[in-house]
This record gives sequence, structure tokens and C-alpha cells, in this order.
Amino acid sequence: MAEKTAANAAPAAITLIEAITQALAYEMRNDKSVVVLGEDVGVNGGVFRATAGLSATFGPERVLDTPLDETTIAGLTVGMASQGMKPVAEAQFDGFMYPMVDFIVCHAARMRYRTRGRLSCPMVLRVPWGGGIRAPEHHSEANESIFTNVPGLRVVMPSSPARAYGMLLAAIREPDPVIFFEPKRIYRQYKEVVADDGEALPLDVCYVLRDGTDLTLVTWGAQVKETLEAADALAKEGISAEVIDVATLKPLDFATIAESVSKTGRCVIVHEAAKTAGFGAEIAARLAEESMYDLVAPVERVTGYDTHIPLFRLEMKFLPSVDKIVAAAKRAVAHS
Amino acid sequence: MTIAAHFDIEYLQYLGPDGKLVADLPKGFDPKSLLPLFKQMLFVRVFDTKSIALQRTGKLGTYAACLGHEATHVGIGSSMRPEDVFAPSYREYGAQFMRGVQPREVLMYWGGDERGNDFQIPRNDYPWCVPISTQCLMAAGAALAFKLRKEPRIAVACCGDGGSSKTDFYAAVNSAGAYKLPLVLCVINNGWAISVPRSAQTGAETLAQKGIAGGLHCLQVDGNDLIAVLEAMRRAGERARNGEGGSVIEFMTYRLHDHTTADDARRYRGEDEVKAGWTREPMLRLRTFLTAKKLWDEAQEKAWLEECGKLVDVEINAYLESKVQPVEAMFDYLYADPPPDLLAQRAAAIALEKRNG
Amino acid sequence: MANKTASTKKFLLPDLGEGLPDATIVEWFVKVGDTVRLDDNLVSMETAKAVVEVPSPVSGKVLKLAGGAGDVIVTGTMLAEFEIDPSMPQRAEGQDTGHHHGGAAAHETHGGAGTDAPSDNGHQVIASDEGGTISDAGTPAPKGEAGEKRDDAGTVVGAMQSSDAIRTEAAVAVGGVKAMPAVRALARKLGVDIARVRATGPDGVVTMDDVKRAAADGSAKPGAAPASRAVTQQVQDTPAANAQRTPMSATGRPMRTQPPSVQASGQPEQLKGVRRNMARVMADAHAKVVPTTLVDDADLHAWIGKQDITARLIRSIVAACKAVPALNAWFDGDKLVRTMHPHVDIGIAVDTDDGLFVPALRNADMLDANGVRGAIQRLRAQVEDRSIPASELSGYTISLSNFGMFAGRYATPVVVPPTVAIIGAGKLMHDVVAVMGGIEVHRRMPISLTFDHRAATGGEAARFLKALLDDLARPN
Repeated sequence: MAEKTAANAAPAAITLIEAITQALAYEMRNDKSVVVLGEDVGVNGGVFRATAGLSATFGPERVLDTPLDETTIAGLTVGMASQGMKPVAEAQFDGFMYPMVDFIVCHAARMRYRTRGRLSCPMVLRVPWGGGIRAPEHHSEANESIFTNVPGLRVVMPSSPARAYGMLLAAIREPDPVIFFEPKRIYRQYKEVVADDGEALPLDVCYVLRDGTDLTLVTWGAQVKETLEAADALAKEGISAEVIDVATLKPLDFATIAESVSKTGRCVIVHEAAKTAGFGAEIAARLAEESMYDLVAPVERVTGYDTHIPLFRLEMKFLPSVDKIVAAAKRAVAHS
Repeated sequence: MTIAAHFDIEYLQYLGPDGKLVADLPKGFDPKSLLPLFKQMLFVRVFDTKSIALQRTGKLGTYAACLGHEATHVGIGSSMRPEDVFAPSYREYGAQFMRGVQPREVLMYWGGDERGNDFQIPRNDYPWCVPISTQCLMAAGAALAFKLRKEPRIAVACCGDGGSSKTDFYAAVNSAGAYKLPLVLCVINNGWAISVPRSAQTGAETLAQKGIAGGLHCLQVDGNDLIAVLEAMRRAGERARNGEGGSVIEFMTYRLHDHTTADDARRYRGEDEVKAGWTREPMLRLRTFLTAKKLWDEAQEKAWLEECGKLVDVEINAYLESKVQPVEAMFDYLYADPPPDLLAQRAAAIALEKRNG
Repeated sequence: MANKTASTKKFLLPDLGEGLPDATIVEWFVKVGDTVRLDDNLVSMETAKAVVEVPSPVSGKVLKLAGGAGDVIVTGTMLAEFEIDPSMPQRAEGQDTGHHHGGAAAHETHGGAGTDAPSDNGHQVIASDEGGTISDAGTPAPKGEAGEKRDDAGTVVGAMQSSDAIRTEAAVAVGGVKAMPAVRALARKLGVDIARVRATGPDGVVTMDDVKRAAADGSAKPGAAPASRAVTQQVQDTPAANAQRTPMSATGRPMRTQPPSVQASGQPEQLKGVRRNMARVMADAHAKVVPTTLVDDADLHAWIGKQDITARLIRSIVAACKAVPALNAWFDGDKLVRTMHPHVDIGIAVDTDDGLFVPALRNADMLDANGVRGAIQRLRAQVEDRSIPASELSGYTISLSNFGMFAGRYATPVVVPPTVAIIGAGKLMHDVVAVMGGIEVHRRMPISLTFDHRAATGGEAARFLKALLDDLARPN
């Protein structure tokens, strides 16, 4: 396979998962310190095909199949990163990443801090995230809140193929550890033209996807889809909703949210994870601290229930839906 | 009956507890080479003693003493090259001093200051590691980096007998075998994991043989015999550098002090055992051996100990005179690119500090 | 999903393994017309993995079979059709688990928004996506390759919605600035005020390069204005917001000034009632009247005892009107007609939360001090409880604004047609005045007189003012 970038050809329309592959390939071509590791990432190309073709192109010394142990993956990644490599590890599923928490919290998040900058940990941990694919238990976790309270980490979640490409490049180039959650429900949901030009998109900022004046819808991940659909439905009833994709949960760009709420006066937060102490709570607290006098309505949160995501028969009842978002928006808009 | 696999664990010992050789010296081994290392071991003991005293007089936080481990530690450290990487647990000062870590850095760490981890000389070595045995797996990662980059460097990690029970240790063993890594795992078996004796840790007959499960070379040595330590490290280092893969070395020694200064070992082990430990301690036998070879005597020791005292005091004073980091040091090493919210908190902390004088 | 008429059942080929797109018929164990029992062997099928026996899902009569030995049936398409015999044992209808990996299948699109029925020729079904700001440019999926190539499910568990529909995100216009979300995000990241960036994209869109350039040359730093910028409805609705950009300044740095309305953060409110009226009336007055103002101070030094200031003011106005009737008149600017009044009805400005009321104190020339006081109290009360009739809010011949209760010395109060004069009384002050032989401190009241110069002369105004001041200066 030619190593030449596809930048010379007309850029293709690709899915989110293909955008991941494209970003990995670009960065591996241009930075020899980038290696990919995880279970089944080599010949199999990853269970979601995120690393499809990379082993054939770059060889087994750049694309490593690991033994079946998440602790091993996390520990080797931290070890390599702290010795000057840029490992991009894959956790096979969100529900399997818990043994990695030790290395992420105790070492990745602390390496720079502990050694006063002498050592650092420029790693990326890619995690297929969230529900909605009718999977067995432990394959549908929305567990971002575990990490958003840990100093020293970045927590990032793209919601489109273009943002997946650009933000993954940014994450790999970031000198500090990034947990990169990929909403698996939208891995193949649609295609977008994404030029393979190596342009990173900024982390640490929200993406305003839609302009509006009556309320601000704040969300991330796969729920961006439902939130945009809800905005459409609201528009038909004359309610103009601004839609913000948080994109980087940590560190949070609250300024964009505050600016929007100062205009609209109402905020509805949408997330898949369970309600209590979900990341929406942090945004709601910030709104109470800093946007109190801009708000004309209580903050609404449309979230998963405080229960484990059920198996697929009830799964869609657990997840936020367009109807639930529209109802919350209307409750907010009833206040003036 | 067909045997699918079998293993033997070799035990190395050259110098017995009484200072007499129990086996022929390794080929080409020069006893004179032991002298500078013996002196280093004495320095470590002086440092260790003074550090305990510092803690007991309220000048140091909790401290993990290395009393009795000097041969193992100094032997491991002296067997490494500058370009190698060392991953300690939190006790191996003797090894770290050989690598260029300064005593004042050890004191800063136990004295509650992160700057202790900012080693001035071994810039790539890992800092002290509290989550048990995770250093073994990180060292495996480092070894993997060396292998992928085709660098002639090895990684050496130390853990205790308790540490060999940990998931991360097994993960390191397995990774080292799966990837044939240039890794040396040093299991320093000092008999106790705080209050839990070695016998309660595992059903395995030796700790060294845990490496067999990963396909590594395994060796058990008398960790109080510096010659055995050096020979074991020489073999493992050579294998690693020749691309023959990783090793597990179990160093048999004894923890002559408490687990840390916050521990009281009398709660769980008897005085007789400790007394017996002292009869096997590394300094005694090496002193006897070197004195018999006319390489050492009482007068030299007295003079050297005095000089060690002075050197250690310089380090202690440097630590005691160091100023507390400014409050913003809490914020300055989280991200290369700190986000605005964090900078706002940093500013608030500085302002609060100013107001409080 | 089974399609069912009254007593027939179409049996669709289930996924015989994990993610198998089709299977080949090896051998039928029944033929059309046969009676078959639930779970009897129906057919043996060969898949990519194995030969599998498929049992009958119902008891009944075989109506149709989908092919013969050697035929390939796509997962999810019809394998057989039965007439159900209710007298024989049947199985409960279970839910389709929706696990169809690759190949044509009746996907349950998430949110239950309808299913796409499989077509009989096995073309791949595309799940449709509705909604979003995003334009769909759906392209049909390529037909699966013939031969052994299996469609890659792209997952080891679950069922993932898959589509070839192409979307593009549109540029978002926030605050009158059009930019793609990623460009806006980059501007924030780089600390660039996107409103100040020179846009070079089509249709006035700000591009990535525009933002990077602005960051590099420091030309679009955020201003001192607070980060929260509410955008008024008007600016947003103006599609030509971009047209308000000014041309580049001579230094080459892009400059853009905006009207204050873009930066305000208050909430617009529609004026109603009294305020609305005031706005109209004042605008009307401004358009017609030619105002001229004289100011002076009334010296109250000679006053004996405590006196009602408003009553004295009223009396002084009456005195002045008697002295110079020209200012107690109505003027019609269109017809150029002046009507001088024999009586004096004074319009007293009363300030309320809802706005300015001007009730008329009728026949002020006839009232004594008590009468004035009583009338004023009655007017205030009526204004306060809004019981004052509309007729009493007009028809006055001259006006008084006693603004000095709060602050201010002199003013240029507004003459409201058809009157031609208004007196403004400022804050009572103790002033240092020069007198013959020295300095004294006198209590004084600043008085402003604005008159409509179309209807009265400066001389008339001055004489009116003098008469007013003289009366105010009297001891009682």
C-alpha cells in the first residue's frame, strides 16, 4: 500500500471510524514515535476496524497486539510514553477499561506533576464509548465522569467524522494524557468529507453547531445527533435553540456555554450517562456560580436514569431521546 | 508419562554469612572491585541511619528504611549503565545513589516536596512509586520503547516479596515474555510485606519461578552476598542486551528495620528473628572478607564513616534549608498547556497567599 | 420482523451465526402443501461457517418456499411461507432482537422511527437519518460483491447502525459572524475575537486561515467588553450584518465599529401605556416647538415662616400669567392661531413608576393657598391610584415641572403643544450671594422658563419670568 497521503486525491466522504483510522495513519506516517497498541489491533484491525490496514502499512513494530490484559495495556502505554514515545492505546470497550484506571489516575495523570516536569506522559487512550448498539453487558458504558474529576487528564469526545479526525490528531500531539472517547453508536452512522491534511482541531473548546436565541442545548458524543434533531423539532414550533457540542469535557470551555446562556437565558444539558454526578452536574454548578443572573429558567438535565444501562430490550428507554429533549426545552421556554 | 515442561531455579551464593567463600568466584571476578562498592554500602547505611533519626526528631515525614538491603541495592545499581532506566519501588536508595540520585532528593521526597522526584542526573529513571509493582509494568513499557527504537538499553525494576503478588507484576512478567523485552525484574525478598510474612504471599516455592510463567530466565540469589548479586545482574543484563529477553531475579535478604518509620514490627515479629537476621547481614560478611584480604581495616572504616557522616550532613542541611515551593507550584506541572480555568485557580491561590501574608 | 396476515406467516431467514449475511439451501425437508409441526426440521442451510438445520417456526401448511437446493437466501429475506393451523401447537411471537450484521435486514432504526423493509433482491438497506442542520446527500450503498467476500460487520457485539449517507455541517452565524463550528472553536482557543477577524471565505464566511492569520498578527484581540455579548434580535435578523463591516483602515488592520446596540446586554421591552405615550408626545413636541430657555434664581430670603413651596410656585405662575398673558396661551402651528386664556390651568408634572403624568390644576388663578394645596393633594392621590379621568390629563394652559425635589438646578423642560410655556423649579439651595456691603447666605430656588419662540418673544418671556420671581420673593 502506498504511503503517500491521500491529500493529493479528492478527499473522500468517510465515517467516524474511518476518520479515526485516517488520523492514526497520518500521524504514524509523520511521527515515528507514534505506535498503536491494544487487543486485536493488528491483523484484525481492531474489533471496530479502527486500526484497519495499519499493521499492513506500518508493521508489527508500530501496531502491537497486546496480551489480553487491560492493566498490561495501560502500564506499557504509560511506560512507553514516559520514555519519549507517543503510544495510542485502544481499550477494546468502555466497560473493560476499569483496570486501567489505576495507571491512568496514579501515573498518567501524575507523571508530569510528580516529577516537576522531568517526566511526562504524552499518551492517548482511545475508548469505544456509550450505548445504543444493542450489545451485551459492559459494552455500553458512559463512564466519562470517572475521569473528569482527575487533575492532569484531558477527556475528549468527538461527535462527527471531521471532529474525530482533527481532535485525534490534536490528542496525539498533546504533550499530556488524553482519554479519547469515541461514541460507538455513531461510528458508522453517516459519512462526511474529511480531507487527510493533518490539520488538528482545537481541544479545550466547545463547538457551537447551531445558532439560536431562545435556549442553549449543551451536549456531547452520540447525543449530539438527538439534540440536533430536537433543535429541528423545536424550530418548527418557533423555538430557536442554540446547540453546543462540548467536545472536550476536561478542561471545560465554560466561557462558550456562558456566552450562549447570556444570550438565551435557558440551558438544557443532555448526556447519556446516569444523572447523579454526571458531567452535566458540573456544567449546572458552573451556571449557578457564574450565570445566575442570565438564567430565566431552571437548568434542565436530560440524562440516562440513575441505573445501569439495561440490556437492549429496554436500552432505548434508558437513553435520552428527541422527545425527552424537546419536553425539557419546552419546560425551559415556559419560563420568561 | 510425558513431561510437557519442567524448570529448575538456580541459587547463587559465593560469600557465606561468616565472610568465607562457599563457591568459586565467578570467572574473571576481581575481589578488589568489591571495595568501592563496600564503601558505598557503608555510605548508604550512614544515610539510612541519619534519615531515621531525622524522622524521629520531626524533621522528615514517614521514611522507608533500607537497613539490611545494602548489598542488593548497591549491587543492582552498580550493574546498570547510565543510559539504562531504573524503576524503584520506594526503598532502593543504594541502587539510586549509584545512578546519580542525590541523598537530598530522597529527603525532599519523604520531606513532602515533589522536587525530590526531579532527579538532576538520571533524568529518565522513574520516581518513587507507591502503587505497588506498577513500576514493574512501567519498566516493561520502557523496555518495549527501547526495543521498538532499537536502542541498546535495558530497564530494571525492583519490587518486594509482597509486590510479586500484584497483578502488575504478573502483567510485567507476561509482557516481558510476550515481547521478549530487555527487562530485569528484581524481586527483593526481605521476608515481610509490612506484617505479612513471605510464606503467606504465595504457594510458589520460590518467587523467582513466577518468571517461568512468562517464559523468562529466573534466578534466586543470596541478596546479602554482593558477589552473587553482581553475578546475577551481570548475567541478566547480558541476556537483555543480547536480545535474549527478560529475567526475574529473586534476592533473598532480610528487612532489619520496620516497613517504614510509621510501622512497629515488634507487633508481628519476634526479636529472635531479627537477631538472626543481623547475623546474616551483608556488611558483616563483606567486612570480614575484605579485611581477610587485607583490603580493609578498622581505621579505614572509622575514617570513612566519619567522612560519610559529613557528606550526608551536607545533604541533610541542603534539604533542611530548602524553601517550601511557592503556592503556584501546585498548579504548574499538571499540563504543558494549562487551561484557563486552572490558571484562574492558580491566580486565586496566589492572591489568597498574598492576603494571608 | 414477521409480516402476518390473518393466518399466514412469512418466515424470514434469521442470522444463523454471528453476522452472517446469507446462507445457501442444501436440502428441503418439506415441499409445498406439506403439513409441518413446530420445530420439525424444515431445511438444511450452508453458511460460511457450517451446515445448519433450520427448524419450522410454526405448525401448519407450507405455502411457499423461497428457492431450491443451491439457491442463496439473504439473511432477513423470506425463506418460506406458511398457513398457520391454530389447532396445532404454536410458539409465542418473540421480539426481533435486531441483530443483523451486514447484508439486507430489517433494521430497527433507533428511536423507532420506522423500519426500512427489505427488498426481495437483497440490496443493502440504508438507514436514513433525519434532522439536524445538515443536508443529506444520500448515496445508495454499493451492492455487495459477488463471491465469498463477507460483509464486515465492523463490530464483535451488538448491532450498529450503518449508512453511506453523506452530511456536511453548515457554517453557523452567531453574532452576525458566519463561520464553521470548528473555525469558531479555533478562534476561542487562540484567543481571537472572531467578530474582528477579516473574513475571506465565500459569502463572508470566516475561514480557518483567517483565524490563524488574525492570531499570528494579533489583529483581532478580544476588546475590553465583557465576554458575554447578547445579540439583539435585530442584528441577527439582518442578513447583511456582514455589510456593516468597514473597509480596512489605512494601516491594513481590519477595523470594525459596531453600533452600541450590538454590545448591550439588556433585554428589550416594548413600551406600553404612559411611557409609550410620553415617547410619542415628546417626539411630537420636539418636531414642532421652537424652544428657548431663560434661567434665573428666585430669592426666598424674605419669606416669613414655613410656607408651602408648591402653593407659592403656583401663585407666582398665576401672577406672571396675569402680567404677561402671552405665555398663558395655546398656539396652533399649522393654522398660526394663538389663543390667550383668561383662566390659568396649570399642568403639574407628576412622576410615577409607570411614567410621567401631567394632571391639570384647574383655575389656579381662583384658588387660595389652601385651595391649591388641597387640589394638588387630590390630583396626586388620583394619579397614584390611577383614578384620574383622562379629561384631567389635558387642557392645561401652562405647565410646571418641580424636578428640584430630587436634584438639578436648571433645566430645559419640554414645552408640549398647544401650550407655549413651561416652568421648571430646581432644587432649593442655600447660596452665597453678594449684597451691598458684603456676603450673605440666602435660600434660593432656581427657576427655568422654556417658551415656544414661535408664539412668544424673548421680552415677553423675560417679563414673565421677572413677575414670577418677584412674586416668589415676597415675604408671604
